[in-house]
Amino acid sequence: MYPNHVFLCIALLILIGSPTAYSSPTSDTWKEETDIYQPVYDAPLCTSRQPSTIDLSARMHLKPSILALIFTRCTGVCNPLILELQENLKRNPAQRDHQVIVVSFDPRDTSEDMYRYAQRFDLADDPLWTFATTDSIIPLLSSLSFDPSWDPQRQQYDHDALLVGLNTEGIITKKLIGLRSAQDLSSLISSIHNIYAPTYRMPNPNMLFSCFNYDSKTGKNTPGLGLLFIALPALLTVAILLGLHYYTRSSRH
Amino acid sequence: MENLKLRKITSFWILIVLILFVVAIVLGILMRLNQGEILHQSPITFYSNMTTHGLTMIGIWFVAGMAAVNYLLQRYVKTSYVANMTALILTIIGVLMLWTSTFIGQFHAGWTFLYPLPFKVMWAAWATPLFLFSLVVLGLGWLIWSISLMTQIFRKYSFSQAFAWQHFSKNPCVETPPFILITMITLVGIIACLIAAVILLVMLFAEYFSQGTFVNDALLMKNLTYFFGHTIANEMLYLGLAVIYELFAEVSGRPKWKTTWYVAVAWNLSLIFILTAFFHHLYMDFVQPEGLQLVGQIASYLASLPAAGVTVFSILVAVYNTKIKWSLTNLLFFIGVGGWVVGGLGAVIDATISNNFLLHNTLWVPAHFHTYNAMGNVLFSLAFFHWFANQYQQQPTQEKSSRLPIILLLIGGIGFLLAFYIGGADSIPRRYSTYPAEFTHAKTLATTAAVFASFYLVAILIFFYNISKKCIQIMSSSASHS
Repeated sequence: MYPNHVFLCIALLILIGSPTAYSSPTSDTWKEETDIYQPVYDAPLCTSRQPSTIDLSARMHLKPSILALIFTRCTGVCNPLILELQENLKRNPAQRDHQVIVVSFDPRDTSEDMYRYAQRFDLADDPLWTFATTDSIIPLLSSLSFDPSWDPQRQQYDHDALLVGLNTEGIITKKLIGLRSAQDLSSLISSIHNIYAPTYRMPNPNMLFSCFNYDSKTGKNTPGLGLLFIALPALLTVAILLGLHYYTRSSRH
Repeated sequence: MENLKLRKITSFWILIVLILFVVAIVLGILMRLNQGEILHQSPITFYSNMTTHGLTMIGIWFVAGMAAVNYLLQRYVKTSYVANMTALILTIIGVLMLWTSTFIGQFHAGWTFLYPLPFKVMWAAWATPLFLFSLVVLGLGWLIWSISLMTQIFRKYSFSQAFAWQHFSKNPCVETPPFILITMITLVGIIACLIAAVILLVMLFAEYFSQGTFVNDALLMKNLTYFFGHTIANEMLYLGLAVIYELFAEVSGRPKWKTTWYVAVAWNLSLIFILTAFFHHLYMDFVQPEGLQLVGQIASYLASLPAAGVTVFSILVAVYNTKIKWSLTNLLFFIGVGGWVVGGLGAVIDATISNNFLLHNTLWVPAHFHTYNAMGNVLFSLAFFHWFANQYQQQPTQEKSSRLPIILLLIGGIGFLLAFYIGGADSIPRRYSTYPAEFTHAKTLATTAAVFASFYLVAILIFFYNISKKCIQIMSSSASHS
């Protein structure tokens, strides 16, 4: 529990102090479902480790991957995103059979910048983490429908916090937009291991007879009116049986 | 005169069932040939054929069972000719509407038409309402027929007698024949599942005509779909069992079976279990509460115990160490019970939650339901058809000439089903029009299945020829010959 609280305080402080935290996301709606089951672009990656260049596909073939897109000069959500990811992964030591690939989408970032960035989180020598740049960032971002926009006034990119789940075949299995709970991350990790990851439908005011109503705040389902409809055929049959029995009583006598 | 009318309409039912059965088998063989890449159908043609094949098979073996039960029920109570004729007319209209929607409109959402597939229109826009209306017409006819039969039973038997509750105690004052008990239990299940279909269709129409102002809950629709689909597929088997209880001992030259306390208890329990077993179709729906998933598994286990246990026990006792007058009728019943048991075991294996993780939506699923249908329920109905067609013949049939179709039926049926079981055990998915290269054995198995299914088809054509010519004679006979 203690690391949880520390992390939350840090994240909140960074978010409160950050102007990008108040800005609206680049897209009108968060569409996590786009590009699911599509292949990610096979971008060449540059790292400060040996080998210094490697294709994304070669890296992904080794282990299922979580891809995080950041830029090192970010004063907004990038740091909390990596910090939260690091904390959540630490809390699940059993789930180590995957890797994290952090790629900068800022062309100004170099391999050395990414190395120093990794050092900030004490991840520079962690074999599970790879911090890289690429010279093919546009097709990579396009394959993920990730569209950061440059704000010259603030000298910052306006962008979403995005984690992408990739299985060993380089297929996008799940996306998480925003700073998300450990449960959501666990679901992403399941998906990259090709384990079914459940999703919940969005509430719809035109859906009158739901079997269950999902409360996103508590994460729980409560029984809905639709359940009655499942029992209705049996109830109506009993009514018909009794009705027929009553209707035929005179002929029986 | 009344008997003649019933005989004629039963003959007509038999003819229709056999004609549609041959067409549905041909569609099935074409699908397996396409999967084996011997033929090349477009995916739309494949899935249209799959939809037609599934619904036609379910429909014809349901009405075959109903026609048989209606005919035999006349021994105990007077049945309604009008209800029988209404069901016949509505079935013909319904099938024509259904085939128009699939063959011409190319509706291809599968026989379960799982929500929201019917609304993802990838076919002629009119095909969706026509398909749904065809189900309304079919369901209406069958509901009228079922309620009519139940009404006639209640005219003679009280509520407790119809369910044989007096047999729970010693020395019951009135005996409920097993045929009446099983028919009653089955009709209750049929009415329940047809009402589920009515609710399902109302909800589908509500969404279709609401222009987006009303949306259905996919989980509710799936529950209702399988309440209807799973239950009707099982109840039609029970109709066949009612016929066995009535005819097996009679054609074998044995004393007629009686209702005992354990028969009464078993069948009453079956009613509860069969109406709750459908939850096993929703194991992969994580939002369904775990309790209902457990109900699905437990009910699936228990549903097979009373009906299957008691029936198999009764059949074995009847034939073990006893001089039986074997004929094609009781031989078909006997083999059919074997097929039903094997298919039932396959179903129970799949209905076990831990197994379902591996077998869900693999060829294991069509393997088990084809077993208890093609080698179970179909044989029950063929046995009735054969018995019915021959009882009005001047000269008895040469039973020796029946060996060939039985041999073909067994070879074809077993080979065809084995290809499904092996495919299922090999995790080959169901409902693929063609298989990717990763499924190395899938094409070979599909082609092999098509070859064996062709043997099965030849056997059915022989039965068709033998039975239909006698049915046509019955239909053309006048009152003076009756």
